Amino acid sequence: MMDKKLNELKKQYQNARVPDELDDIVEAAIMKGKKEKMKNHKKMPTVVTKWVGSVAAAAAIFTVGLNTSPALAQTVNDIPVIGKVTQVLTFREYKENDKNYGADIKVANVKGLDNKKLEQTLNERYIADGQKLYSHYEKTVKDLEKKGGGHYSVDSGYKVLLNDQQLLTIERYEEQTAASSSTTMKYDTIDKENKIVLSLPMLFKDKAYVDHISSYIKGEMIKEIKESNQEKVYWVRGAGVPVDDLAEDELFESIKTNQNFYINKKHQLVIAFDEYEVAPGYMGVVKFTIPTHVIEKDLVSNKYIK
Amino acid sequence: MKRKKQLFYDDDLVEWIRQNKKQLYWLAYSYVKNEQDALDIVQDSIQKAMQNYQQLLNKEKLKSWFYRIVINTSLDFLKKFRRVQVTDDETLLYLSSSSEDQYENLDLAGALERLPTKYREIVILRYFEDLKIEEVAYILNENSNTIKTRLYKALKILRIDMEQEEG
Repeated sequence: MMDKKLNELKKQYQNARVPDELDDIVEAAIMKGKKEKMKNHKKMPTVVTKWVGSVAAAAAIFTVGLNTSPALAQTVNDIPVIGKVTQVLTFREYKENDKNYGADIKVANVKGLDNKKLEQTLNERYIADGQKLYSHYEKTVKDLEKKGGGHYSVDSGYKVLLNDQQLLTIERYEEQTAASSSTTMKYDTIDKENKIVLSLPMLFKDKAYVDHISSYIKGEMIKEIKESNQEKVYWVRGAGVPVDDLAEDELFESIKTNQNFYINKKHQLVIAFDEYEVAPGYMGVVKFTIPTHVIEKDLVSNKYIK
Repeated sequence: MKRKKQLFYDDDLVEWIRQNKKQLYWLAYSYVKNEQDALDIVQDSIQKAMQNYQQLLNKEKLKSWFYRIVINTSLDFLKKFRRVQVTDDETLLYLSSSSEDQYENLDLAGALERLPTKYREIVILRYFEDLKIEEVAYILNENSNTIKTRLYKALKILRIDMEQEEG
């Protein structure tokens, strides 16, 4: 159906000489593209640290802002609390949507804990974190405006990962998006019976758990890299990924004694890493469920972890 | 967490680039008409594509999407270095070869070369790259009817009977 002459031309077009350098140039561009990606992702953590530790002095302004600005949407949950059901509700929600900037911050609020003081401490911390994030958002927008504008948004909220008779686990996320995005997570696991917030070290007899968990995670990372044919990448030694791209000190060696963790519905320990902490950004937030037999000997008891 | 991160697989893209590098080169060449510049454009386009691949949600559109990058990069380049198009060695060599049945084709090839870009690119994408009208429209950021009209006009200029050209 195509004209014969056009067919001729097509052949000519397709058989046109391709320069010998094409192969090399294509491969070089692919390599460079891969490196750029790695580099961009690795740059991000500095940004994250900046805003997590940002000025708490502006917190007062946040409170005033929350209560007076018409742009603020306040969500008050009037759901009645029956008996001693522990609930996590949205205490406040701040929403702003501009063409270039956006904020959506949901502040968690725990209700129904026996220990009111614990409840209050948790809630105060959640509010303080929300304030911090919001004042950082305002400051960043102002800075960007001074420099002639840009894009920036924050998205923060929470999720209840476990809420049974004994334990309550709350996951809170903070995602900030500029040119690229990054997410940090915070977890709280609360023992409702003993009315305490669990920390990682208190689950174990001594510090031996750090090594046991770390070497298990390293093994898993290497396994996942190999099984996924390097589609998954972690910054770890010994996985056959060329390490020359990575600085030595960026490789994963060990978890922190107070590494992010939570206890899942099966009462297993889950270790979490923020985006960029142990892997390139496209891997997102990384979590490893630790089989209980790995840490069995280190546990104080099987009370929480089974 | 609320927004699930889409896992991003570089390998599909890299594989596709390796398989289609010639087409990418020809496409760039059809705009810039110069070997070195076409190579530069291929290189730039690959890097742009790798940086932005995550944003391409429908991976089936990869070909059109990538062509769009190549074409935009080429057009940017031409805008920046608006240069007199000199006939390069390849064409000279071709012009000086004098077999008889190539003569007729040369006429057509020359006619295609002389077509304004907005017509030539459509002929290349539609016929040489076998893309659908809708895909051509997507790549060139025009609507399908505009593409059809231009294609008709292009073929008319090339004096090609197009009774059988479908929509």
